[in-house]
Amino acid sequence: MSYLADELKEKGNAAFRNGQYIEAEELYTQAVQKYSRNPLIFTNRANVRLKLQRWDDAVNDCLKSIEVAGPKTQNNKAFYFLAQAQLALHHPHEALSSALTAYDQVRHPLSPAAKISPKDLETFSSFVLKCKKAKFATRDRDRLRRQGHLRAELEETLESNKQRDLDAISAQLSNQELGPVEASERNQEILSTFDTKIAELKTLFAIADPTNHKPREIPDHLIDMITFEPMHDPVMTKNGHSYERATIYEHLKRSPTDPLTRDPLRVEDLRSNFGLKAACDEFWESGASEWVIDW
Amino acid sequence: MAGMSSKRLQKELSKIQGTLPPGITLVSAPDLREWTMDISIIDNPIYPPHETYRMRFSFSPSYPIEAPEVVFVACTSPERKIPLHPHIYSNGIICLDLLDSQGWSPVHNVESVCISIQSMLAGNSKAERPPGDAEFVRSNRQRPRDINFLYHDPKRAFAGGIVF
Repeated sequence: MSYLADELKEKGNAAFRNGQYIEAEELYTQAVQKYSRNPLIFTNRANVRLKLQRWDDAVNDCLKSIEVAGPKTQNNKAFYFLAQAQLALHHPHEALSSALTAYDQVRHPLSPAAKISPKDLETFSSFVLKCKKAKFATRDRDRLRRQGHLRAELEETLESNKQRDLDAISAQLSNQELGPVEASERNQEILSTFDTKIAELKTLFAIADPTNHKPREIPDHLIDMITFEPMHDPVMTKNGHSYERATIYEHLKRSPTDPLTRDPLRVEDLRSNFGLKAACDEFWESGASEWVIDW
Repeated sequence: MAGMSSKRLQKELSKIQGTLPPGITLVSAPDLREWTMDISIIDNPIYPPHETYRMRFSFSPSYPIEAPEVVFVACTSPERKIPLHPHIYSNGIICLDLLDSQGWSPVHNVESVCISIQSMLAGNSKAERPPGDAEFVRSNRQRPRDINFLYHDPKRAFAGGIVF
């Protein structure tokens, strides 16, 4: 049975690569019916369900994949897809913890011989950051809402309007009234209008009430000098400068030199900077009300 | 990796739109692939203060891990010439180790590249083109990043010739 399932899975993968998501999803489903002990089939179906914006189904597939794979194996893709679905479902806390699991797994491969993939590390690292920002924004919104703030209420209204529009598109997508390409274009449009409106709202409140709404700068020492993003897992080079682990790994892959001094530098020379990590965590946990630009 | 360059460029852009050092201005940044910058040089008779030079920055999706491609461009309105310098070919190609994959470092940015080029011009005392300029301009079909420049002194942005 597992042989038939593998065949269907391969067909599903081919359909996925061609962007035929609905067909791919069906093929994976048939594969699972033939043989349900292969975690990869669930992971792949989760991925295609993310494309089809079936977030709850994607969550179930990821959990199933993690369960089938068992606790002693690594399954970072499943955790990564899980994080994506959870973030889409507005569960930033859960999404962050899933993203961190994926990140930790790729950081610490089970067999010591396995190489760390800088590309996966980079992908998961930036998703961790995205979840942290979402969590931060949610907490900030909650704070404003507790104060019965007008802005929180307006943001919520915009948010629910956006969700309504997105849901309408998901519905059309699953009824096959819309193709996946068109659906994702429309989604993009909705999201960018939403972002513009939120930004306008923030600007207005910042002008009207600067003390409570002025964006706060993130201190420079918490910013990675390569991506200009705040760090969450900083490592230090020999000369004492710190970078985000994923970006410096990516740089060292191309050029084994210190970005500032151009002295030879290897991944093994890097040290985790726990003090700075604590400072970053403190920032993420702090009540900074807003970021400059979109930090 | 795809997300890295656009995020970083967006941030650089909003910073650049705020303040820039004297003599450096942003001309246009229609998207996150290609920007144009103008620079002018103070205090060097080779480059009269009213003359401004235009540079085109092109970014690959791997920026800032990969260097941007930076060249001088000539145009007529407004008038922009290619500055006369022993490391700048008359077709605008700049021979600067910073822009080479060996000399580039991801901690550089558009602003720091502009400052480096500005100071390279400010410190210049020879109003001349690189040796073999005419031949290079006529025969070169390569993108600047693929050219094998021969640096006489890699510590300083100094070049003397090309390996064809």
